[in-house]
Amino acid sequence: MDTDTLLQHEAVSQSADPLSNQFGSLNDLAHELASLQDLANRGSWRSILDKVARARSHSLLNTPHDHLTYLAYNVLALAKLRRFKDALTELDSVDDFDSHHYRYETYPKIYPTRCGSMVPFSLRWLHALIPIKLGNRQEGLDRFYILLDFVRGKLKEKQDYDVSIKMWKKREVFVMNGIISEHLKNKEFGVCLDLIKDLVSRGNLDPVLLSKLGHIQMQIGDLEGAKGSFDKVEKLLKERNAGGDDELLSEVEFRNQVNRNKALVYLVGKDYVSAVREYEECIERDPMDVVAINNKALCLMYLRDLSDSIKVLENSLERVPTVALNETLVVNLCSMYELAYVNHSDIKRTLSNWIARVAPDDFDSSSTRI
Amino acid sequence: MSTTQGTHSLAFRVMRLCRPSFHVEAPLRVDASDLIVGEDIFDDPIAASRLPPLIDAHVTKLTDTSDLTYRTRFLLQHPSDSFGLTGLLVLPQAFGAIYLGETFCSYISINNSSNFEVRDVTIKAEIQTERQRILLLDTSKSPVESIRAGGRYDFIVEHDVKELGAHTLVCTAVYNDGDGDRKYLPQFFKFIVANPLSVRTKVRVVKETTYLEACIENHTKTNLYMDQVEFEPAQHWSANIVKADEHKSEKDSLSREIFKPPVLIRSGGGIHNYLYQLRSSSNGSAQSNILGKLQITWRTNLGEPGRLQTQQILGTPVTHKEIELCVMEVPSVINLDKPFSVHLNLKNHTERELGPFEVWLSQNDSLDEKAVMINGLQTMELPQLKAFGANDFHLNLIATKLGVQKITGITVFDKSEKKTHVPLPDLEIFVDLD
Repeated sequence: MDTDTLLQHEAVSQSADPLSNQFGSLNDLAHELASLQDLANRGSWRSILDKVARARSHSLLNTPHDHLTYLAYNVLALAKLRRFKDALTELDSVDDFDSHHYRYETYPKIYPTRCGSMVPFSLRWLHALIPIKLGNRQEGLDRFYILLDFVRGKLKEKQDYDVSIKMWKKREVFVMNGIISEHLKNKEFGVCLDLIKDLVSRGNLDPVLLSKLGHIQMQIGDLEGAKGSFDKVEKLLKERNAGGDDELLSEVEFRNQVNRNKALVYLVGKDYVSAVREYEECIERDPMDVVAINNKALCLMYLRDLSDSIKVLENSLERVPTVALNETLVVNLCSMYELAYVNHSDIKRTLSNWIARVAPDDFDSSSTRI
Repeated sequence: MSTTQGTHSLAFRVMRLCRPSFHVEAPLRVDASDLIVGEDIFDDPIAASRLPPLIDAHVTKLTDTSDLTYRTRFLLQHPSDSFGLTGLLVLPQAFGAIYLGETFCSYISINNSSNFEVRDVTIKAEIQTERQRILLLDTSKSPVESIRAGGRYDFIVEHDVKELGAHTLVCTAVYNDGDGDRKYLPQFFKFIVANPLSVRTKVRVVKETTYLEACIENHTKTNLYMDQVEFEPAQHWSANIVKADEHKSEKDSLSREIFKPPVLIRSGGGIHNYLYQLRSSSNGSAQSNILGKLQITWRTNLGEPGRLQTQQILGTPVTHKEIELCVMEVPSVINLDKPFSVHLNLKNHTERELGPFEVWLSQNDSLDEKAVMINGLQTMELPQLKAFGANDFHLNLIATKLGVQKITGITVFDKSEKKTHVPLPDLEIFVDLD
């Protein structure tokens, strides 16, 4: 985005009438935002690329924040489609996030009451993530840690802004989770445990986070530690029922988390029958609990019931495709097909064709291993 | 019985069934606010009050099965959604490596891919190693009556791996095919068993205590969680593990509550050291230098266990002291050519009577006169010592050279057993002028 374009847009001033509703609908926030959001919800990332290209070539974007929003959707779409090199090129067009070009106060005619950065935060996050996806792990991790510092700096600055503080706290967790995920992927478990310890000590007694800690402990084989973490989660559930309030987690979600944790403990002890029972309780309570569905299928297989494990997964794809259709579930189903059928390529092809019709643009079809 | 590979109605499908693992992937999901508006917009009080409800209205949680969107792949609904571990389990995707001490588990499915029923199926599964053939499954006593066209018969086998090297899972089926011919189908699945770890030990004796240092090195491709590393002492020995004190910073009470750091040995060459303190519990004649062995239990992926035991670990040969000679007192001032007395104590550590004894200073081979000699009779007689008894006596000595000198070679000779003991190391003294 060059300076000339921006100055032109400044001249086209938006109405500074304080009575005009700038927040009536999504389209008030950016040009045809509702349509962009809808496409993203449906996973139509290719259509988003088209839409952005058209908006740019037809000069439909009138404000600096329009450009930035479209840029953010574009980079995200490219990343979703695993076109990381293109995403990097697009990001490089934003030279410096902290430049005055991207601050509200630079355009007082458009944003008379606003000051600060108009950069969508997801762009900063993508800026750190994309090098990792391109194989430049060190660069990406460095950027992530720098981003974490940046967020913590903002937290100190925004002491007086209640809503802002909430947002930046969310972003702090978001960035930390990104860092932990990356270390986890590389099996750097010691670092992960330290980072989670840090998150917990910052007052984050989040039952989901504690459950994930238990999962990591279980993954490395520390079964005693995992049980301890899961017991804490159960305690939190009881405290909540006794009058606590967790706006972030519904009752159903909380209970299902506890059941799934219990199921894992059974699974690890090879008591697959009890694990299945726990998962069935989850599915009864929430028919879209795809983790319970997937894991139940695996337990059935370990119980020598390959036919039923296949049925559970196929059934979920039929019943709740928009939550069940994920790459992991498909990988598991295809593994089961390979075991159950000598000529498994036929049935995998049927699955693959169905996926091609139904799946979002970002679905990784290599998961069918055809 | 036809053994042609030509057309078989049946075929074996095999999948190693080690434990599943959690799918880990940093999800490409964002918070809507981080995409559609600028990061500092919430500093604007109007935006702060109007935006959140607007965004909430368009980012409702997915509760309706008729909502045919894939928004859960795009938007974060809970802060922990950005944590790349959902709890989804994945089946093992490759055979992987198998190590000594683990349990080999496999799902075996025998499929009838023909258009005809097969009958009277006898199935056998065995593990063949260099040394032996181990039967895992045999249905010959009660064969499977029939497998319909397109049908399957499944079973799961387990085998504790106790040998290294080449292993073969041999699956055989004998059946009557659609034409009534009796067919024999063998199928072979090979794998190699490697050593997961190596243990290096060092034994040191400090005074009465023997210390055993064990270094465990991980040769596998995954991290090993050390569940238990226990030393099982041999008879007459007792052992306890020596651990480092906790670092002060780890005493944070909240995080201590959450978890204690696990002992995790990094894959491909990581090591961890263990230290044990061993005490011999007998003063008797047990001269064995076998200290005991290490029992090692580890866990990998989702608690998959492995167990190994070392060979017997040997210590340095322990010579139990039968007699002990202690220096009780040496005069603080020793003058040249002036006799002085050293107070000694001789103790009998055995359960039997020892002695009588003779004590002298042995002559070394050097031509030099010894710096310190016995003054008077060169041999001293000491009476018998009863079991665990002791005797005080004085050695009358004289120093013939100035400066730092050594009393060396005090020898105790057991006259009845005809055994010579040299129980004292050199003793240093300072010889001054009068």
